[in-house]
Amino acid sequence: MKVALSVFKDSISTVFDVSQQLLVLEINGAGEQKRTMVKLETIDPIRRASQLSEEGINVLICGAISMPMQASVSARNILVYPFVRGKVEDVISAYRYGKLGQAVYALPGCRRRGYGGSRGRNRGAHHRWRG
Amino acid sequence: MKSEKPAKLKEIYSSDEQNIILDSIADGVFTVGKDWHITSFNRAAEEITKVSRKEAVGQLCKDVLKADVCESNCCLRATMKTGKPIVNKKVHIIDAEGRKIPISISTALLRDSKGKLLGAVETFRDISVEEDLRKAIHAKYSFTDIISKNHRILQLFDILPDIATSGSTVLIEGESGTGKELFARAIHNLSPRKKQPFVAVNCSALPDTLLESELFGYKAGAFTDARKDKPGRFRLAENGTLFLDEIGEITPSMQVKLLRVLQEKTYEPLGATESLKHNVRIITATNKNLDELVRDGSFREDLYYRINVFKISLPPLRERMEDIPLLIDHFITRFNTLQKKNIQGVSEEAMSVLMSYNYPGNIRELANIIERAFILCKGGLIEKKNLPENIFILKPDHDENEVVSLRDAEAGYLLKALKQNNWDRLKTARQLGMHKSTLYRKIKSFGIKLPS
Ligand SMILES: Nc1ncnc2c1ncn2[C@@H]1O[C@H](COP(=O)(O)OP(=O)(O)OP(=O)(O)O)[C@@H](O)[C@H]1O
Ligand SMILES: [Mg+2]
Repeated sequence: MKVALSVFKDSISTVFDVSQQLLVLEINGAGEQKRTMVKLETIDPIRRASQLSEEGINVLICGAISMPMQASVSARNILVYPFVRGKVEDVISAYRYGKLGQAVYALPGCRRRGYGGSRGRNRGAHHRWRG
Repeated sequence: MKSEKPAKLKEIYSSDEQNIILDSIADGVFTVGKDWHITSFNRAAEEITKVSRKEAVGQLCKDVLKADVCESNCCLRATMKTGKPIVNKKVHIIDAEGRKIPISISTALLRDSKGKLLGAVETFRDISVEEDLRKAIHAKYSFTDIISKNHRILQLFDILPDIATSGSTVLIEGESGTGKELFARAIHNLSPRKKQPFVAVNCSALPDTLLESELFGYKAGAFTDARKDKPGRFRLAENGTLFLDEIGEITPSMQVKLLRVLQEKTYEPLGATESLKHNVRIITATNKNLDELVRDGSFREDLYYRINVFKISLPPLRERMEDIPLLIDHFITRFNTLQKKNIQGVSEEAMSVLMSYNYPGNIRELANIIERAFILCKGGLIEKKNLPENIFILKPDHDENEVVSLRDAEAGYLLKALKQNNWDRLKTARQLGMHKSTLYRKIKSFGIKLPS
């Protein structure tokens, strides 16, 4: 499985729609196998989503994301954790232990969207890895 | 993540008095200390970003504002570095609900009475209304303006970038109001020609001779009134895209001319002695079934193959009911900004009516229904009573078990809508959001008799 984080320096990039770099983690039952950096080529939602899908991404963890962008990524069957913030390593370990829903990892005012309501139910449960 | 607020700034800026003053300002205003943490945040800022003051104060400004320039080209950083204010710079933010909003930003340094640097202040204004108008005027629609989660449309999204870059002709089929022009513009805007003009011509609106001079232009003296050369739409669309709407309506002689233009990539203005080369990409649209027209001989097969390198078929709204709530949301947001209203949504009852209607005028009709409801609805939710009466008729009031064919149901709507509009076909077409020629055609095919 491939988990992508949209990053800027050592943190999650604030706005996914214009972010330029992805950190891609390859994960299997034994834990994390490999890390690669991928440059995001366009800001067009459709093409951005198709690049993610060509990279074989299954999960995207990112900062603020616009509705059309999120819709086109989700349409590729990619699970999106939107409106996340924090240092990359903290976020990875939060993801790993199913703690991404905690307030410290949400952009201010954005918990409702990211984790409230029906969008967020059971998020992470299927994809959490045991390393 | 959070850091301690510098005590001094807190003293100065969190006082109630300051907040009252800030809140009276119509623009969004926030201040930051030298470490980029927000020290004050007014009510307008809350409204635009959908982040409350409580959640915002003490946070890094980029996490709260979420603007596209925060990481690449931070406005406040530039001001802090150079000391120079930034005035009315246009950027986009994403609010806490995922809406992308264009705003205009201004910045300035913040100093205390002794001139010591405290931080910076940023004011910003929601300019969606201006942007919406600008878009409407320039028709700069893109993918992001096409709302859908229907699988057939999503599949189209997948191939559209490739179609757009290919430069081939595209035929777009779909009923009235299904978004043919929207897709044509999106293709243009995704193509390498996007900086060049997009020119639309409605082929059914003009008789042959006029259409010909409209498309190809004429030379001075070509006919009595031709005093000066007039460039045609082909010329105006040079290097760009020409959108030929209602292509199914053109006459056999026009079909021959168009075929030549497509084959030879040249055309002749009326009265010209030489032909001109063109570099125009052609996108056509029709609400007819061209296959059928070809079969019954009213549309040339060779022209059909020329314009039909790619074919896109847009499903009618009744075949993508899942889009109705999305589209309603989209139109409510649009009309709220345009009309400075604050309609929250539609009531459950109204939604079930909207979901059970079959929309012969498709998305344009849905947009018209919402726009009309805006006139009747002062605030809160759009209720059943704000909806036009003719959309209630799908629910058959006769025997539940009697299956009404779609065709009968549609004929029923038309009849009812016509009656409501005193048999005024133009008015009816407008209300249903369909082209008048479409309405005429339907009236004829359903055999509806109009009182003379
Ligand atoms: N998927 C969509 N998302 C948002 N708006 C849409 C969508 N499809 C259509 N619309 C809107 O509906 C209206 C009708 O669309 P458009 O003019 O492209 O339809 P059309 O197929 O060309 O209609 P006609 O056959 O009557 O010329 C426009 O205002 C357009 O912006
Ligand atoms: Mg049209």
